Amino acid sequence: MLTKAVPEQQDWNALTDEDFRAIFRDWVDQNCPAHLRFMRKQRPVFDEVAEWYHALARKGWLSPVWPQEHGGMGLNAAKHIVYVEEWARLGCPRIPDHGIGLTGPLLIEFGTEAQKDFFLPRILSGEHVWCQGYSEPNAGSDLASLRTSAVRDGDEFVINGQKIWTTLAHCANWILLLARTDKEAAKPQNGITVLLVDLTSPGVVVRTIPNLREEADFCEVFFDNVRVPAKNVVGEVNAGWALAKAVLGHERIFLGAPSRPEYALTRLEMLAEDRGAFDDPAFRSRFAKLRLDLYDLGSAFERFAKVLREGGTLGADVSVLKLFCTELYQRITEETLAVAGEEARYYDDLPLGDGGHVDAMNLFLDARAPAIFGGSNEIQRNILAKAVLGLPSR
Amino acid sequence: MPLIQLDDPDATLAMLRDSLAALAAEADGPATFRRRRAAGADLDPQVWTALAEAGFLALPLPEDMGGLALGRPELTVAAEALGRALITEPFATLAVFPGALLAALPPDEHLQALGAGLGRGEAILPVLWQDARGRTAPLALTDDLLNGTAHLVAGASSATGFLVLANNAETPVLIHLPAGAPGLRVVTRPGIDGATLATVSLHDVPAGRVLARGAALETALGTAITTARMALAAELAGIGARALEITVEYTANRVQFGKTIASFQAIQHRLVDMWAEAEFACSACTNAATAPEGEVAQAVLAAKARAGDSATSITRKAIQLHGAMGFTDQCDIGLYLKRAIALNATLGQPEELRLAFLAAERAA
Repeated sequence: MLTKAVPEQQDWNALTDEDFRAIFRDWVDQNCPAHLRFMRKQRPVFDEVAEWYHALARKGWLSPVWPQEHGGMGLNAAKHIVYVEEWARLGCPRIPDHGIGLTGPLLIEFGTEAQKDFFLPRILSGEHVWCQGYSEPNAGSDLASLRTSAVRDGDEFVINGQKIWTTLAHCANWILLLARTDKEAAKPQNGITVLLVDLTSPGVVVRTIPNLREEADFCEVFFDNVRVPAKNVVGEVNAGWALAKAVLGHERIFLGAPSRPEYALTRLEMLAEDRGAFDDPAFRSRFAKLRLDLYDLGSAFERFAKVLREGGTLGADVSVLKLFCTELYQRITEETLAVAGEEARYYDDLPLGDGGHVDAMNLFLDARAPAIFGGSNEIQRNILAKAVLGLPSR
Repeated sequence: MPLIQLDDPDATLAMLRDSLAALAAEADGPATFRRRRAAGADLDPQVWTALAEAGFLALPLPEDMGGLALGRPELTVAAEALGRALITEPFATLAVFPGALLAALPPDEHLQALGAGLGRGEAILPVLWQDARGRTAPLALTDDLLNGTAHLVAGASSATGFLVLANNAETPVLIHLPAGAPGLRVVTRPGIDGATLATVSLHDVPAGRVLARGAALETALGTAITTARMALAAELAGIGARALEITVEYTANRVQFGKTIASFQAIQHRLVDMWAEAEFACSACTNAATAPEGEVAQAVLAAKARAGDSATSITRKAIQLHGAMGFTDQCDIGLYLKRAIALNATLGQPEELRLAFLAAERAA
């Protein structure tokens, strides 16, 4: 009944966090299909979650952060944290969100009016599904060395090259591309341009790359003389590097949100209960350490969330959450395999006495990825060394 | 650099930090450590008096004991500042623990007088309650005579009296004994943090006044342990954060192979990990200092475990990054390590605290 009373848009930021949480949770709980909750798959493709995507789109709640004038909810950072927390708590599936989280904010901040008018509604309707064309075979951590080229030819750019680790490119129809437009630039960062590229264009080939979980989350994308209208350049030519770095903002906090290790710890606890591991004092000690690490991650997350709630901005130090969270997720899933004992030889889920299952191997393999993506943990340490500790380079 | 973040609407916390900084400028922490250690003393009377005059010893006390009725945030900030300045007097064990114990008992005039003396630094009242392994000692009150041995006692040589936790026919009682009571014997051993620890044996000691007994005493003891652990956690967080800063400064100035050693990636990643440990200790302390009443005990267990692990780990790595210099007694960084070890071992090492947290959570 409550859902009927809740308007689709209002000034959400004027509500208390508690009120917003109640409204959002109530609606999500009633509208996110049960069979999509707590999916085994971390990155379902668009068709698998289209039902949920469209439900959000109809409600106008697909895009939490975009301003309401562009069809978003206009949430501030504090409310966005609530949105993400409730989403995770209710086990909603991740939707293909590069349009919402990446292309949309970039266009809202740097795009032309024509670009905004054309692309934003198509993201919200699900007609355009976006992917992120940044990494290349020889440009991963060292992204600025990317070589996929865009050469001006009249009113068009001609793209040649290859992208890789492009998440969900096989179910996307548009790609936000970083391409090299100046090979002679004094610094490699100065010759890079952001382009909006239609993946259905002639000359584009997408191939999936099966990952350790034998799923096709990410892809390689090949460009062979692909022609892109010059009006699809975002911002200035050769000034794309700053744009690519500008869109992260407060969302970096979510790379360290405790939801994944929290979920994994509940699975470990279930398996440990079932297999009697809590009778072993050595296991109890290890479990207590993981439990307290998770508890303390919550305290650390709260320290940064409080900064955002009070209207502050996050510094480079927030990536301490990403380091700790992703490494904790790994340690929890490693312990789960240890509890599995000889059963860790199985690839599929482990049955429990009560008829349930624990996806020990699935979680262990999944936990390899977050320490690598979003800037590997080693790169994060390099950045923290300079930006927070001010350590010298000579 | 890592600091315990707490709201400070009326600038009380800033005032506490300033006041301790002024005190630390007078009482050089590392020098006092070495002086006290050389003297085989259990505390430094000058520094203890200075702490009393600055109001630090009265922090855990309520107004009717001459305290300021301040809360966990104030205690946290004070202890953190002591840790940072390496002022290694037995603050948590000799000011916070007995103070919080007296403050948590049903009030009476005698208790108020004892508490007030404690806050002014005139009374030094170690609690006799632990056995050789840190568990509750089997001290017995029978026919008005006290018998038994307490271990791990800080401040026993300087004590003006003792608070004795004893069993009287299965009921716990708390007794106040004067320092020179007949049959009371103090034997000291050197502690790792440059202060002696004592074994205090009681042989047919005529019991002094019974201050409290039974369930009220047990509850008060639990409260005092939690409060003292909060102070220990914050002091450990301060030690870790300061040891990190010292090590950053050292490695950024030490040149080998024509470069500062802090420019090497292997060193940078170690320093970042130390920084992360210090950050987590601070946010755990923030959580413990601001947790709602019903969650304090668990939050403090977590904070003490986290800050203890962090401070001991950071200071060990700090020694390594100082190279041979770090292994000398002359270099202050070793004193941070020693103090961290001592506080980490006081009122429960991390593993024990984590198991207590887990047991409480799984029982709930």
